[in-house]
Order: sequence, then C-alpha cells, then structure tokens
Amino acid sequence: MKKKEWEGTTYGNAWMHKWLIRLLRFTDVRILYAFTSVFVIPVCLLINPSAGIIYRFFRERMGFGRLKSALKTYQNHCLFGQVVIDRFAMYAGKKFRIEIEGLEYYQKLTSGKESFIQLSSHMGNYEIAGYTLMHDKKALNALVFFGEKASVMSNRARLFSGTNIKMIPIRPDMGHLFEIDQALQRGEIVSMPADRIFGSQKKMQISFLGQVADFPYGPFSIATMRGLPVLAVHVMKLKCRTYKIYATPLPYDKEAPRQEQIKELAGKYVTELERMLSHYPTQWYNYFEFWGN
Amino acid sequence: MDELILELKEEIIRVLNLEDITPEDIDSTAPLFGAGGLGLDSIDALELIVLLEKRYGIRLASAAEGKTIFTSVENIAKYVSENRKR
Repeated sequence: MKKKEWEGTTYGNAWMHKWLIRLLRFTDVRILYAFTSVFVIPVCLLINPSAGIIYRFFRERMGFGRLKSALKTYQNHCLFGQVVIDRFAMYAGKKFRIEIEGLEYYQKLTSGKESFIQLSSHMGNYEIAGYTLMHDKKALNALVFFGEKASVMSNRARLFSGTNIKMIPIRPDMGHLFEIDQALQRGEIVSMPADRIFGSQKKMQISFLGQVADFPYGPFSIATMRGLPVLAVHVMKLKCRTYKIYATPLPYDKEAPRQEQIKELAGKYVTELERMLSHYPTQWYNYFEFWGN
Repeated sequence: MDELILELKEEIIRVLNLEDITPEDIDSTAPLFGAGGLGLDSIDALELIVLLEKRYGIRLASAAEGKTIFTSVENIAKYVSENRKR
C-alpha cells in the first residue's frame, strides 16, 4: 500500500481552527501545551510516520544516541504542537515577546530603495516574524503554499489587513512569479521558504548536515536574477511566550558568473540552516524524507 | 526577424544555462514549456520576463500576457519586434 504523503498544510478543519481560536482567547497557551504533550503527541508518535523520520534525523544527521534521539523526537513533536498553538494564539490576539538578532541588517535594507529577499525555512515559527519584522514603508510579500487551509488563509488575511504584509500563494500556473517580479520592481520585500521544492521542480543538490539533499533552485535564482540582497530569517522558540528572530545577511559575489552566484548563495543558506540546527535541533519541522530514502 | 530569433535563442541558452543545447537545436515554432519542446518551467518563465525587461526594455503586464507570448521563440520574437524599447 502506498504511504500517505504529507500534505504540508496546517492540520485540522475550519471548525477545529475556529474552536481553537475561541478557546485561546481565554485560555493560557500552557494549558493547551500540556494537553497536547500528554494526550495528543503520544498518539501522533504511534500513528504518524513523522516519528520515524525525525528519529532518523536525530540519529543519522545530528549523531545522537538512541535514547537521546527518542527523547528529542518527542520534544520535537511537542514543540511543533506548541508553535501551531502559538499561531492560533496570535490569531486569537495573544502577544509574544520577541528578541531580535541582526535587526541592524534588516533596518539597513528596509531604509534603502532597493528590494530584497528574505529566505525562511520550516524551522521554528516563521509566521511570528511577519508581525514583528514589519516596515511601514516597504511592503513584505510572503510566498505561501497555495493548498493551505482556507481557514488559515482567512485568519492570516484578517491579521494582515491594514498592515504592509501581502500574501502571494504559489499557484500551478506562473501567476505568483509575475506577482514576485512586480513586487521586486516596486522595491518591496519578497519572503519565501528555501527548504522545500514546490512550484518549479528545478532543484540543486547540496551537502547538508553531512549528506546531500535537494534544495529548490527557484529562491536562489530569483535573488541572483536581479542581484538582490538576501537575508535569512529564522524565528526560533525560546520559551513559552518568547521567540528570537535571527536576521542573517547572505552576501554573494554579484560579479561572478550567474550559476556561481546561485551556488554560493544556496551554500550560505544551508550553512545558516546548520547553524540554527546546532542551537535548536528540536525545531526542525520538515516531516518528510529530506535526504531521500 | 531571423536575426532576432537567433539572438533570442542565444539569450535563452545563456540565461537558462542550457549547456548542451545550441541555437540550431531549438525549433523556433516548438513549445518552450512542457513536453515536446525545451521543457522549461515556471522559474524559467521568470528568467524570460527579466530577460525581456533588461535586454529589450519590455515589461509584461500580467501572467496571462506571458502565457500567450512564451509559447515559442518565434512568438517571443514577434512580440519583441513590435514592443521593444531598445
């Protein structure tokens, strides 16, 4: 029997999301953290293939022992549950404390006229950055998964209304690429994940944590197409209500041949992923065989 | 027009890094995207958009316009010859 593929969308239906937001308006997130850790995560670990995938990630890529890998697998799933709860807590109006490393790079880029690219990944809780790293003059265009649940999209749209944040869903046709190009021509910020291959199937193979993995070609190609500055932005969970944003510039030689620029930029992005994972190994949320089988 | 078609083929090979392909290998009337042609995909389309802008000063207005233009090299050449600003 063919294994069910991970859909990459937020779990649950519209009714569950609505119920969760209502609950979070008057409930401390820690109560839901505890509930999911005790009653939900153990069940998920038993029935979901993500447990094996993350266990192998800790064993083979992070080099942890069996017991430590098992413990970290449980922690990883608990933390993932917490960041999902935090997202809905934000939709419910809850605030989080945010620390920022590299704010000066972000401010320098936003104060200029030139557009720039923010590269994210499926670690930590990137959605928090949208609400914190927001600029009054330079719009942020966030590339989002087209197949995301309608209730999540409508909550994002509600939160972003009246702000300088716009969403660009990745569509099966070329529509999103025109929107990206137009945003870049207007001197705005375009934010996109660079650790998943969707939309264009072009990919590049890069050594990541000691083994070659596939990375999308598109984000690095788009950045170098116009020689734009690039920031890697990661938002990692520190405590219950505290996150830390890491804004790291990824410079590359803009005079080098184009393919060299793409390779250099992608290599620096992967090095930044490795740096983040060395500090936050349990916040890796790519629940598929990232390094192949 | 033939000169422009050759120039476009050379530019397409350069910007898309199509190492094993020569201008002679590209059929001017063959589809650029999908099976049966060069097999380009959406990220290549963006490269072509930027190419038209940088080289010929042409800015496409919409995705729909791009779909009608990027059907073949011959079609791009026709559009460029009618709309180029440099």
